[in-house]
Amino acid sequence: MKNWSLMLAPLGFVLCGMGILYLKMNPNGGPLPAGAVPGSLNGFLWLAGAALPALFLQAVIIRRREDTVLFPIVLMLAGVGVAEIARLKPELMIRQLQWIIVGMLVLLLVLRFWGHIRRMLDYPYLLGIGCVLLLGLPLLFGTEIGGSKNWLVFGPISIQPSELGKIVLVFFLAAYLSDHRRVLTLPSHRFLLLRLPPLRFIAPLICIWGMAVLMFVVERDLGSALLFFGMAVLMTYMATGSKSYVFLALVFIGAAAAVSYAMFGHVRVRFDIWLNPWQDPNGMAYQVVQSMFAFGTGGIWGTGFGYGHPGFIPEVHTDFIFAAIAEEMGLVGAMMIIACYVMLFWRGIRVALAVRNEKEMLLAGGCSCLILLQMFIIIAGVTKFLPLTGITLPFVSYGGSSMVAGFLLLGVLLSLSKEQEHG
Amino acid sequence: MADWRMKRQILRTASFLLMLVGLLTVYIVYLSAWEADDLAANPLNMRSAAARADIRRGSILDARGRVLAQTRQDGSRSYPMGAAMAAVTGYNGEKIGSAGVEGHANRELLGLSENLSRIGPISQLFQSDQGNDVKLTIEADAQQAAYDGLDGRRGAVVVLDAATGAVLAMVSSPSYDPNDIESNWKLLSKQADGALLNRAVQGLYPPGSTIKPMIADAALTNAATNEREIFDCNGSLDVGGGQTIRESHGEVHGRVDLRKALTESCNVTFGTLGMRLGDEKLKKAFERFGFDREIGGDIVMTRSHLPSFGTLGSGDQAQTAIGQSSLLVTPMHMALLAAAYANGGVIMKPYLVQQVITPGGTVIHETVPQKWLTATTPEMAARLDSYMEDVVTKGTGKAAQVSGIRVTGKTGTAENAAGKDHAWFIGSAELRNRRIVFAVIVENGGGGGTQAAPIARKVILSLQN
Repeated sequence: MKNWSLMLAPLGFVLCGMGILYLKMNPNGGPLPAGAVPGSLNGFLWLAGAALPALFLQAVIIRRREDTVLFPIVLMLAGVGVAEIARLKPELMIRQLQWIIVGMLVLLLVLRFWGHIRRMLDYPYLLGIGCVLLLGLPLLFGTEIGGSKNWLVFGPISIQPSELGKIVLVFFLAAYLSDHRRVLTLPSHRFLLLRLPPLRFIAPLICIWGMAVLMFVVERDLGSALLFFGMAVLMTYMATGSKSYVFLALVFIGAAAAVSYAMFGHVRVRFDIWLNPWQDPNGMAYQVVQSMFAFGTGGIWGTGFGYGHPGFIPEVHTDFIFAAIAEEMGLVGAMMIIACYVMLFWRGIRVALAVRNEKEMLLAGGCSCLILLQMFIIIAGVTKFLPLTGITLPFVSYGGSSMVAGFLLLGVLLSLSKEQEHG
Repeated sequence: MADWRMKRQILRTASFLLMLVGLLTVYIVYLSAWEADDLAANPLNMRSAAARADIRRGSILDARGRVLAQTRQDGSRSYPMGAAMAAVTGYNGEKIGSAGVEGHANRELLGLSENLSRIGPISQLFQSDQGNDVKLTIEADAQQAAYDGLDGRRGAVVVLDAATGAVLAMVSSPSYDPNDIESNWKLLSKQADGALLNRAVQGLYPPGSTIKPMIADAALTNAATNEREIFDCNGSLDVGGGQTIRESHGEVHGRVDLRKALTESCNVTFGTLGMRLGDEKLKKAFERFGFDREIGGDIVMTRSHLPSFGTLGSGDQAQTAIGQSSLLVTPMHMALLAAAYANGGVIMKPYLVQQVITPGGTVIHETVPQKWLTATTPEMAARLDSYMEDVVTKGTGKAAQVSGIRVTGKTGTAENAAGKDHAWFIGSAELRNRRIVFAVIVENGGGGGTQAAPIARKVILSLQN
């Protein structure tokens, strides 16, 4: 059985390769302009170049008796992403494959040095400061790309520190919450109907909530803000089981939303677009309206790979890649992508439930939730279920920071899945 | 340590998140299944327009496979015959819409034979990036001959195959060049009776004497006269109310029977017959020949304007019988009238598109000729056909004679408010393997026998082989 799972790993790349071959099959067929498909053998060499380390890694994972399903699912998502990028922005396809290879390298490092990395959990305050620094950097030195001021530019490379920041946040929350779990669950103060611990214990939490709001207002990065805030709430509940925190958090975010809606123009614009995109379908709401058209045109079965017109959506290869999938592969394809995430999530939760150590249990739960929540926020955004946000679809969207961060998370989950064997 | 409590909380959190994802999934299903049609059809959604723009429009071919319109490598459209064929091909432009075959065969030219978008990617198997070719019934040589015959004068020519209804030529003049219509659009669209009006099917004219074969038919059918009756033409006819009908050029035909009266186009005789027939029988005759209806299908023909039968005085009855009064018809309809006598009383439905051919060469549509009307009996048709032969051999239509070919016809010189008389000639010719019928009008051209009949002759010559 284990040997069979070795063959699961390159499945995503096989799928991707077939997709690219299919695109090449109609040089003039379909609406793709001739020459839009990566022409040379180069693309396939890189694809094979990515499949080999994938096989090697899966072999390592099998040998180390770690979860054998997580990695193939991630590669499946990444494979779909590469095929879709080859169709949308062919010139970025090889770049994306390179990022995947870098991601797998990072994954290997995490697996190899997990013993060191896990020791970070013993220094919650350092993690907290690190998290604040990472998120605070763009506030000071940030560059605005695509409407969000959350990028750091070093020469030719631009990175999104919030991608790394969210992982540090999960580490911090896991460490901090399990250290102070008992205090936090101690019902010392009663405030109205809420049971609250002393203020100094919940101060770090409020700090994180406040930072999330700041991120949105100053960096205009609603997606990351929602993600950070959501993670803080979810992990607090996982650790303490206290509904008071959840309630408090909702009140807090509600108040913050109301205040920023009243005070900041760009916040108001975001929400007005969400509530009624048809008021300005060719202006402010253009992206989301085009994205909804993509879903409508795709319908249940989609227009067929290569036959849609996802190019009408700006930034379709990053944040809106899901709309492109829905247009060309239809509801069926979209559901399969979501199913992949749900399976990934469920395997992650299984890892969390099997771990004995409290901190690691929280860490595994947090990592799983992070991936699913990010998927939820961006897909809800492109379908107008929630206000539109600018974050990536993990493993599928184009983007280096996001891909590396995704493999980092996967590395943590895989390492934790090993623990169950050893007890 | 309360390990199980934390596990429970993790499970709860996980279920909550999965519930959120479930809600989102339901919403996406709603969006892609229920809302989909509205979103896909939203006017702001450019996707279906873009899908059409991706398709290379097919060619339009004439009956012998000559290209009348094709798409160049760069996607633009070229019309090799230009203005001469414009009344047939029409035009197609993003900003100006479409007309002619480009308009009504649009779906075929794009290969959108059925709307298959709901079956998803499978529809791509049936949708090619190259639209279908449309093969017309048009004979490019006849079209060119007719266009050259009009020689820039205002007018129209329609040529049909009598046995099938196939349109062999359809010319309207003045014309426009569809190759550069978009740059001239502003000027063209401003002219009220300009080049964009397809006179062959949309131009309304008094038929003049070309209506006389039908009146003769009606008079014989209703026993208002017989072939032996002799009419005495002294050059003018008192139609009551102080009005008189005169012969053109002050001619006097003397004693004529019906055959002679038609051959010489005697107004006195036909005015008399009109009054004898009266409103009811005249109306019936016009209805028998379909003057009260449109054709439908490929040919978008304007309906004729008939006098308000039932209220006509004897003067109007006489005027109607010689094709004047308030009677207005299209050249296409006069060709159909000629077709009735050339085809044993049966008028076939005119059509332009013979075949729709896929890029692979498969014929996916072939038009089967259809009967439109039975206008008159075969006997009556044969009799009138022989009368009309006399028009060409010894009467007013000698200019249409072609040696070795039996040509029939009827001239017309229609008075009108716009100025000089319209010159008409309708008729038929028996070619080696088919019988063609035609209607020619030269606006304000003068005499039908001298101005219109020679154009018919040119068309016959062009189709001779």
